[in-house]
Amino acid sequence: MRFSYNWLKEMALGLATEPRDLMNLITLKTAECEGLHKVGQHFSQVVAAKVLQVEPLGSGRNRKTLIDAGPLGQHTVVCGAPNCRPGVITVWVPPGTRLEDQVIGVASIDGVSSAGMLASGRELGINRDHEGILEIEAEPGALIPGCQPDFVIEVDNKSLTHRPDLWGHHGMAREVAAILGLVLRDPVHLTQLPQGASPFRVSVEDSALCPRYSALVVENVQVRPSPLWLQYRLQAIGLNPINNVVDVTNYVMAELGQPMHAFDAEQLAGDTIFVRPARDGEPFDALNDESYRLTPAALVIADKQGAIALAGVIGGKHSAISQTTTKLVLESANFQAANIRRTSVRLKLRTDASQRFEKSQDPANTVRALARAVELLEIVSPGCRVCGGVADAAAERPLPPPIELPVDWLIRKLGREIAPEQARQILEALQFGVDQPSPRVLTVRVPSWRATKDISIKDDLVEEIGRMIGYDTITPTAPVVPTTPPYQDPRRSFLRRLRHLVAAQGFDEVYNYSFVSEELARRFELDPEKHVRVANPISVEQGLMRQSLIPGIWRNVVENSKHWDQFRLFEIGFAIHPRAGSLPEEIPHLTAAIYSRTGDTELLFEMKRLAECVLEGCELRPCPAHGYEHPARTAEVLWREQVVGRLFEFHPRWVETGRAVALDLNLATVESLGKREKRYQPVRRFPSSAFDLSVVVPRRTLVGDLEKVIRQLAGADLDRVTFLRQYEGPPLEEGLKSVSFRITVAAPDHTLSNDEVSAIRERMIRGMRAQGYELRV
Amino acid sequence: MVESQLESLAQSARERIGAAATAEELEAVRVEVLGRKGALAEISKGLGRLSPEDRARIGKLLNLAKNELEALLERRKQEFEEAALRAKLEAEWVDLTLPAPGPRPGVLHPLTQIQEELEDLFTSMGVVVLDGPEVETEYNNFDALNIPPDHPARDMQDTFWLTDGNCLRTHTSCVQVRGMAKLGPPLRMIAPGRVFRNEEVDPSHEHTFYQLEGMMVDRNVSIAHMLYFMKTLLRHIFGREVTVRLRPGYFPFVEPGFELDVQCLICDGQGCPVCKHSGWVELLPCGLVHPNVLRMGGIDPEEWSGFAFGLGLTRLVMMRYGIDDIRYLQSGDLRFLRQF
Repeated sequence: MRFSYNWLKEMALGLATEPRDLMNLITLKTAECEGLHKVGQHFSQVVAAKVLQVEPLGSGRNRKTLIDAGPLGQHTVVCGAPNCRPGVITVWVPPGTRLEDQVIGVASIDGVSSAGMLASGRELGINRDHEGILEIEAEPGALIPGCQPDFVIEVDNKSLTHRPDLWGHHGMAREVAAILGLVLRDPVHLTQLPQGASPFRVSVEDSALCPRYSALVVENVQVRPSPLWLQYRLQAIGLNPINNVVDVTNYVMAELGQPMHAFDAEQLAGDTIFVRPARDGEPFDALNDESYRLTPAALVIADKQGAIALAGVIGGKHSAISQTTTKLVLESANFQAANIRRTSVRLKLRTDASQRFEKSQDPANTVRALARAVELLEIVSPGCRVCGGVADAAAERPLPPPIELPVDWLIRKLGREIAPEQARQILEALQFGVDQPSPRVLTVRVPSWRATKDISIKDDLVEEIGRMIGYDTITPTAPVVPTTPPYQDPRRSFLRRLRHLVAAQGFDEVYNYSFVSEELARRFELDPEKHVRVANPISVEQGLMRQSLIPGIWRNVVENSKHWDQFRLFEIGFAIHPRAGSLPEEIPHLTAAIYSRTGDTELLFEMKRLAECVLEGCELRPCPAHGYEHPARTAEVLWREQVVGRLFEFHPRWVETGRAVALDLNLATVESLGKREKRYQPVRRFPSSAFDLSVVVPRRTLVGDLEKVIRQLAGADLDRVTFLRQYEGPPLEEGLKSVSFRITVAAPDHTLSNDEVSAIRERMIRGMRAQGYELRV
Repeated sequence: MVESQLESLAQSARERIGAAATAEELEAVRVEVLGRKGALAEISKGLGRLSPEDRARIGKLLNLAKNELEALLERRKQEFEEAALRAKLEAEWVDLTLPAPGPRPGVLHPLTQIQEELEDLFTSMGVVVLDGPEVETEYNNFDALNIPPDHPARDMQDTFWLTDGNCLRTHTSCVQVRGMAKLGPPLRMIAPGRVFRNEEVDPSHEHTFYQLEGMMVDRNVSIAHMLYFMKTLLRHIFGREVTVRLRPGYFPFVEPGFELDVQCLICDGQGCPVCKHSGWVELLPCGLVHPNVLRMGGIDPEEWSGFAFGLGLTRLVMMRYGIDDIRYLQSGDLRFLRQF
C-alpha cells in the first residue's frame, strides 16, 4: 500500500515531520514501511506554456516549436508529439529540471537548440498517456494547478493484514495524528447526502455474506478525464487514472479504504439490484476482458437479467462506465471477508477491492464513502445531480461490548508502569471511547473501523498502548523461573549422539529435500501410489514425500563423484509413510555412503565397521538384492535378532565411475531395541587357554555361520572366538576353503588343566564332525 | 718384572680396545685379555710363585688393571651399541611430510552445528527441546494458531498441501500447540526443525528451510521478560552485546506481535548495504502468546501468559558464514559442506 505524504497532510493537520522521519515513526508504531519514493519533484519547476509556432524539421516526426512560457519568456523546443500545434497550452519542462531521474538540459536536435522539453502525462507522472504532450488549461508560466512535489511511503501489505482501516489514507492519517499529537480532519461530510427514497431498490439475499449494500443514483454526469490533481494523486500511489467517474471511486477507496463501483444506470435491467449467490454455471464478463463461469460459492451483484458484478472483486463489462454514460448507480457495499477471499483465490483474481474486503471492512464506511464520492463528483462533473436518497440494505449489527481494561493487568503485560490517564489519552488519540469506572480500570469502546476483526479483547489493547508509548521504554527484565533441569527427549539425544559418532568415522553430513519424483521412486522400486503425495507441488520433481533416504544419497554420490575420488557422507532424516486415519508416520533413518573411484571389497567392510560402531554386535545376513543393489554384495543388518536395515554396494550400472556402498538403518527400530542395562561381571582371575581349529568347507559357506556353530559347541567355559584367516588353494580341492578360528577358554574358579582344555577341544571336533564339517586337525 | 709385564699388557690392551673397529674385535680383546684363559688370568696364575708382599702388591695392581680394562671395554661396547642403534634408527627414516592415510572426522552440516549450539544454550537455561512432525494437520498449522480458514494471514505462508488434506508445516510454530499439550504450564520450550513453503527456489528463496520456535508460559509473563530473553539469546548467538528494537508486527498467534530488529552488526547502525541503509536488520518475529492459542492448548489465559518467538536458523547460518546462495545448504555438495 502506497501513501501520499501530501494526502496524509490534508487530514493530519499541521503535519510537518520530514517524510523520512514519518516513515520511521510509522514503522516503529504502526506498520512496516518498505520504502520512501520522491514523486513529482519537478512540479516546482515545470510550467504551463502556449505553443506559438510549429515548423517542420528534417524528415522525422520532430518539429521546431516556439512556445510562450509567460513571465519565463519564449523558447524554442523540439517536439515530436502529434498533438503539438499552435494554440495548445501544454507543460514545458525548463532546462535544469530533473525528470524521471534525468536532468533535462538544452540539447541540439536536428541542428536546433532545444531548451528543455514539452512533456506527456506519463513523463510528468500524472497519468499513463504517452500519445502526445499533455494539454492543460492554465496561464502560460503558471505552475501546474493542483500538482505539488510529493513523497510516497510504501507500507508492507503483510503488516496491514489485520488493519482494514489502514487500506485508506484517512486511517493512516489517524495513526499519524495520534503519533504526533495532531488534529485529524475527516474528509467526509455526511450531511451532504440527500435524504429521501431511492429510485433503485436493493435486495440482499443473505446479509451474512453482504452485511450492507448502499447505492446512490447520480444523473447528468459527463464522463471525461479527471482534473490533473486527481489523476496525479492516483498515479502517484499506483492507480491508473481512467475517467472522472472511475477515478472518483478509486480516489474514495484510496482515501477511506472503502471499495466502490459505478454502474452505467442505463445499462441495468430493471430498478432492483440483487445481491445473491451466482447460479451454477452463470456466465460473467468482467472488466478485465475475462469471462468466468461462476458457481454458487461466488456472490454476485445482479440486475434482473444476470450478474453485473462479482461482489467485492470486479465489475462487469456490460454495465461499465463509458464515454456516453450520463447516469450512474454508485455502489458502496460491505461483504463478508472470507467469502470474498475464497472467490478471489479460486478465480486467481486479486483486485484492489478484494484485497481490502478480505481484511474485514467496516460496514459503517459504505455511506461515508457515498457522501465523499458525491462531493467529488460535483467537482469533477459539475452539474451532476443526485436522484433521491441512498438505497441502503444494512443488517442489524450489534455494537461490540466494551472491553474492560484493568490498568494493573496492562502493567503486568507491558512490564512497565503506566498511569491510567496516559493509557486513556493514548486510546482516545486513536479514537477509542474510554470510560473510567474506577481509578485503575478503563472501559474501552472500540471504534467501528477497528471492531470488525482487529480488536475485541483486552490483549489487543496492550498493543495499542504499547506501540504508542514506545516499546523502547520497556526495560528488559529477567523472568523468575524454576531451576529444574529440563526434560530431555531420548530420541533427540540418540539422534544427536549418532550424528557425532558417524561424523567421527569420517562421514560428512548432508541434508536432502523431503521430496522425490515419481520417476525416482519407481527407479528405487517404491510404489508412487503408496507415497504421501503433495497436492500442489512446485514441479513433478517434487510430487511425493520421500519414503527412503537412499535416492537422495545416491544422487549425492553421483554428483560428488564428479569432483572427488573418494568420500563418505551421511544423512539423518525422516522417511515419510502414509498411515490410514492419521498423520503420516515419520521414521528417522541413517543413510550413509562410501564412494571410491578405485576401491573394492574394503569399502563394504569399512561400512560394516560403521554399522558395528553404531550397533554394537550387529550382524550381516546376505539377502536378495534390489535392482539398484549389487546382486552378490547385499545384506540385511541384524541387531538383537531384528532386521534394522541394509548394507549394500550400489549396482555398478548405478555408479559407473567407481564403487559405492551404502548403509541404511531404520532408527525407529534401532531405538525401540534400546539400550541394555549394564550389569557388572567379576573380572576373570584365572588365566585362559587357547587352541586353534580349522574347518574345511565349500567356499561360500558363511564364516558367521561357522562361528555360531563353534560358539554353541564350546560350552560354558568359552571366553571368545577369534576369526584368524581363511585359505583357498592347494592342497585344498577346488571350491573348498579352510577357515581357522582361535578358541579361548577359561573357567571362573580355577585354571583349566591341559586335560580339561583337550577335552573341550575333542568335544568340539566331535561335535563339528557330527554336523558334517571336515576339520583339519 | 711382573709389574712391567702387567703394565705393558695393560697398555697394549688399552690401545687395542681404543682401536677396535667392531664389536667383534672388542670381544676378541676381551677374551684375550680378560677371559678365563686370557693374559690377566695367566698372570694371576703366577701370583702363587711370588712372595707374600709381592703377591699382595701385584694382586692389587692386577685388580686395578682388570677393573680399568673392564670399564674401558664396557664403555667401548656401549659406544658400539649406541652406534649400531643410531645406524638402525637412521635407516628407519620416514618422510613425515607424506600424507596420512585414512578418513578424517566428517563435518556436521552447518545447520546441525548452529542448531546444536542453540539447543545447548537453551537447555542450559532450563528450556525443553521438542520436535514436531514435518507433516502437520491443517488444524495444528493454522487453526490452533488463531489462523482460521479464509484468514488472509494464510497468504503470508504459501503452503504445500497433501492429497490427504494435511500440509507440510509452514513454520515450527505448530510445535507450540504440541508443546502446550505435552508439557502444560508453566513451560519453557524450543522446537527447531525443517519447514516448507511453496516458493520457487532462487539464491535467496527455498521451499525447505529451518526455524527454531521458542515459547515460555508462566504467570505474569511480560514484554519486558521477552525482551530480556531475546537479548540473552542474541548476545550468545553473536558473541557480543546487541542493540535491539521492537516494532509492531502482525502474526495471528501473538498479541501484541512484534518484529525484533537488531542494530546492524556490520555498520553498527550507521547504514550499509546489508541493512539496506536503515541501520537495522529484521531478525525475529515474536510476541505475547494470543489468549486463543493458549486456550486451544488447554491453558487458561486468565491464569497464564507467555511469549513466543521464531528464529530463522537458515538465515542465521547464512548471516554467520556470509553464504549468498541458500541453495547450497540442501545441495549435498561436499565442496560446500566441507568448509564448516
